[in-house]
Amino acid sequence: MMKVLGFLVLLALSSALTCEAAIFKPISHSHRSAALELFTPADGSFKSFEEAYEALRTFEVLGIKKQPDQRADTCASVVDTLSSPSSALKDLFQALRVNGLLNCELNKKAFAGIVPRLKDAVKIASSLLDSYYSVGSLVLIKGLSSDVDVHLESADSVFRAIKALGQSDGRWRYSSNNPESSTYAAGIAFESLAGVISLASSEIDQSLISMVKNDISKLLGGLEKYDDGAYYFDEKLVDAQGHQGPLAASSAVVCGITSFATVSAENLNLPGDKILGLARFFLGIGVPGNAKDLYYQVEALASLENNRVSMPLILSLPTNVLSLTRKDPLKVNVNTVLGAAAPSLTVKLKQIFSSGSKDSSVIDQDLKFDHKNAVHYLDALPKDIDVGSYVFTFEVVLHDSEHRMIYATGGRTKVPIHITGVIKVNNAEISALDSDLGNVETRKKLDLAGENSVCLSANHLQKLRLSFQLTSPLGHALKPHQAFLKLTHESKLEHIFVVHNSGKQFEIILDFLGLVEKFFYLSGRYDIELTVGDAVMENSFLQPLGSVELDLPEPPEKAALPPPLVVDPSSRFGPKEEIAHIFRAPEKRPPRNLSYAFLALVLLPFVGFLVGLLRLGVNLKNFPTSAPATFAILFHLAIAAVLSLYFLFWLKLNLFITLKALGFLGIFLLFVGHRTLSHLASTSAKLKSA
Amino acid sequence: MSRPLLSLLTFLFLSIICNAFSPENPTDRKVLVLLDDLSVKSSHSLYFQSLQSRGYDLDFKLADDPRVALQRYGQYLYDALILFSPTIESLGGSLNAAAILDFVDSGHDLILAADASASDLIREIATECGVDFDEDQAAMVIDHTSFAVSDTEGDHTLIAGDNFIQSDVILGKEKIKAPVLFKGIGHSVNPANSLVLKVLSASPAAYSANPKSKLSTPPTLTGSAIGLVSVVQARNNARILISGSLSMFSNRFFRSGVQKAGSTINHGRSGNEQFVTEISKWVFHERGHLKAVNVRHHKVGEADEPSIYRINDELEYSLEIYEWSGTSWEPYVADDVQVQFYMMSPYVLKTMSTDQKGIYYTSFKVPDVYGVFQFKVEYKKLGVTSLSLAKQIPVRPFRHNEYERFITAAFPYYGASFSMMGGFFIFSLVYLYHK
Repeated sequence: MMKVLGFLVLLALSSALTCEAAIFKPISHSHRSAALELFTPADGSFKSFEEAYEALRTFEVLGIKKQPDQRADTCASVVDTLSSPSSALKDLFQALRVNGLLNCELNKKAFAGIVPRLKDAVKIASSLLDSYYSVGSLVLIKGLSSDVDVHLESADSVFRAIKALGQSDGRWRYSSNNPESSTYAAGIAFESLAGVISLASSEIDQSLISMVKNDISKLLGGLEKYDDGAYYFDEKLVDAQGHQGPLAASSAVVCGITSFATVSAENLNLPGDKILGLARFFLGIGVPGNAKDLYYQVEALASLENNRVSMPLILSLPTNVLSLTRKDPLKVNVNTVLGAAAPSLTVKLKQIFSSGSKDSSVIDQDLKFDHKNAVHYLDALPKDIDVGSYVFTFEVVLHDSEHRMIYATGGRTKVPIHITGVIKVNNAEISALDSDLGNVETRKKLDLAGENSVCLSANHLQKLRLSFQLTSPLGHALKPHQAFLKLTHESKLEHIFVVHNSGKQFEIILDFLGLVEKFFYLSGRYDIELTVGDAVMENSFLQPLGSVELDLPEPPEKAALPPPLVVDPSSRFGPKEEIAHIFRAPEKRPPRNLSYAFLALVLLPFVGFLVGLLRLGVNLKNFPTSAPATFAILFHLAIAAVLSLYFLFWLKLNLFITLKALGFLGIFLLFVGHRTLSHLASTSAKLKSA
Repeated sequence: MSRPLLSLLTFLFLSIICNAFSPENPTDRKVLVLLDDLSVKSSHSLYFQSLQSRGYDLDFKLADDPRVALQRYGQYLYDALILFSPTIESLGGSLNAAAILDFVDSGHDLILAADASASDLIREIATECGVDFDEDQAAMVIDHTSFAVSDTEGDHTLIAGDNFIQSDVILGKEKIKAPVLFKGIGHSVNPANSLVLKVLSASPAAYSANPKSKLSTPPTLTGSAIGLVSVVQARNNARILISGSLSMFSNRFFRSGVQKAGSTINHGRSGNEQFVTEISKWVFHERGHLKAVNVRHHKVGEADEPSIYRINDELEYSLEIYEWSGTSWEPYVADDVQVQFYMMSPYVLKTMSTDQKGIYYTSFKVPDVYGVFQFKVEYKKLGVTSLSLAKQIPVRPFRHNEYERFITAAFPYYGASFSMMGGFFIFSLVYLYHK
């Protein structure tokens, strides 16, 4: 279910507007370059025969001439495998397949050893894969050398054994003890049966073949369909091998049916539309990104291309977009799925549907054929086709009646076509109107093809009117998908209005009184921009028209605030402005010299004091002599020490040391001071009494 | 017997740990890819191959696979998630939008691609990441002036976008020359959200609407406000890429040529491959993932880091910043790394000088304000993981003995005191011993 969905997504990529109409293109160069990319082994040699076969087969089908460098290596291992008696059936088969593509020089004797082994394996094969490998190997050997007898005597019983694994709904089981049936296995079974038929020494019972024919038609009855006309086989059984999705299953069945049809020489009555649908399924995948898928796709397309029962023809258009102005001719290619030329045929344009409306115009017109470029073309589109999206219906008619049996054209093919053209824009004008009377205040003509810069001004009681006309190349009215008038306020706030039309005339009237709330009461300059565009309009444009200066009333208290504006992401990032700290300014101080001057001034009284003392003729005659003199000297020294301590405190000492020292000095000072002063007091008392 | 087994298990566990996402090795290693169906694996193989060739281990699962799980026993099994399943309505197993958001919240990366058929689940996840897809389910981005000229698509929904974000970190040093093909839905981002960036925006004439129906009311999304591809860098440095187009990653768009409408230049290949590869390098942390180490500061002339600074100290601050290059840490070179000296508000904000080898340094004077400061490096640059470093450091005022001791202006006072003292000494002698 999931995978189906996936392919739907893939198809949706390449499918276009309408459901039924879709575009499928045959295999192209992109497949070839993808194949070269995908199938070039990374380390120079293929990992297995299977991988080698897938790569070589894809190159062969796509016509890639590049001979891989690995030929010698691969051939050597092919020879090894074929000559070894213990190689597994699967390896033998894959080696033979690779050999079929590389044409290695093989020893004929090697076959003689293998063939009996394979024949035994065919007889005792219990599972479908065993039969497939052994029968397939024999068929490949048969193709290589004619002198080895590979014919099966008991072809009927082998045929029956394989057929016995078939289910009633046309699918196959891998082995008798595995109850699950698979579509992929059915494809393998058909291929094995085809091999058995080609190896049979006598004619296979016709009833057996018709039973298989019946199975094929039952299997085709169970095809799933997409909306765009692609058919595929769904695979319910997804086993451990992976790669068993719808692509692998459809590819195996297509290969099986075509090889069965080739050998059975019987008309299988394959329905042409289903074969074409399968081809579309494989083409709709586009370029797969996986080697296995690419191989499945290419292999299936190759067997569709080369079968002689029903070859699908793919109708494709080089371009689905046609310009009416450039008078592009309508071109159609018809190719086989691999891009080869188709037989002589005529493409007819049958019907044209206009998308959006149900009506169609029936035309029956043959397209001319350009032999040089192998393109069917129509010089001029039908006269009444104007720009727009259409669905064209084509029919492919083969000239040769024999070809009609071989090629599947699928009846009518629907293709979506877009017709574009240059749309005439004229009578554009912009005007400011007075509200009530509709008086035109200012009217400016606009040239929408060139530059415009009108400057209008309006207040909330006025209206702004813009009108223009659009005319399609055939003179019809065109309603473009996009007709927007955009007003952008200075603060980047945008307001968008759709311009409506009546016929060719487009007109919009902006009544500012009703819009003040929407404009968030923002007065100021509004830039006007007009965008007109449509898928079919070649000259879609985005035109700045100028600006209008709006004078809107003050917002009432409860008015809504304008929404936050989109911030440029780069402004949120980037370095911030540097910040430097501003330090406190140091306090103002007087100049140094002034301080010194005042210092001198302050010291002056001290000098005066000294001079005064000298003038007075001071003496120290009262200084004690003998023993008290020691105390007096110590007393004054202590005073000097205290004063120097103060000096030192200023210079460097802290309070604690100073107080400690001062404490000791103080006690000493007290003691010597007491002795000195008491001596002085006693001497002066003696003097007085004397 | 159990001990060798245990040690083997430990070894295995450690080796897994070593390969996984870690702060030392920030590139994702294991990536879970959830698909709508396995054919996307083939149709988008070029993109997946480019990831695998860069060493990512991709694990493809169907999105509704019941066995799908992001974590087991509380450990996340993957480092990143690629959600290429636009149509999925509910994920398999125990996965849901909340589980995916938890995955992102725990620092893991996410690539999400939507499409025109995007389901509510995908829209919900995108909305939680700050990206609002157009609510109209049928809407697509249409551009009639810068569409890609195509032979098959005539409805101008295949857009040639070249309105890229200007960032070398996100989009790589090499300029994307060819426009990027885009076909899908547009989104808007909330202007207040500073974590979301529009990497690819639409042209001014674009709008988001249903191409099949006529417009009667103005579309909600118009002009350059439409985001086509956006990235989110969460606060925990988890990175998210949200694209409105899954086909943008497809082989078909990778290989296809592109010609923008109205331009005569026909590019042989679209810019998709380059754009998508470069942006996934960014999402998976191969670019723009920074780490800062060796944050140091000290006083000028000293080497050791002090525990406290005094006001007016001269200090030097340095750190080393390295960028992860996908395989190793390379010195990060920029000229806009700034340091803040911060207490309530930045007192000093200075751009650091660099030696071009990853070391950033600066010096400044501590402000004359004391308190508990922080050295802060808040490095936020477009696309680069944000660095946010903070280191606390107290600042004290002058001690009592650190002030100036001998002030010239006070010399008269000193002089007065000492002359007074000298006078006292002489006067005491004269007074006591004069006869």
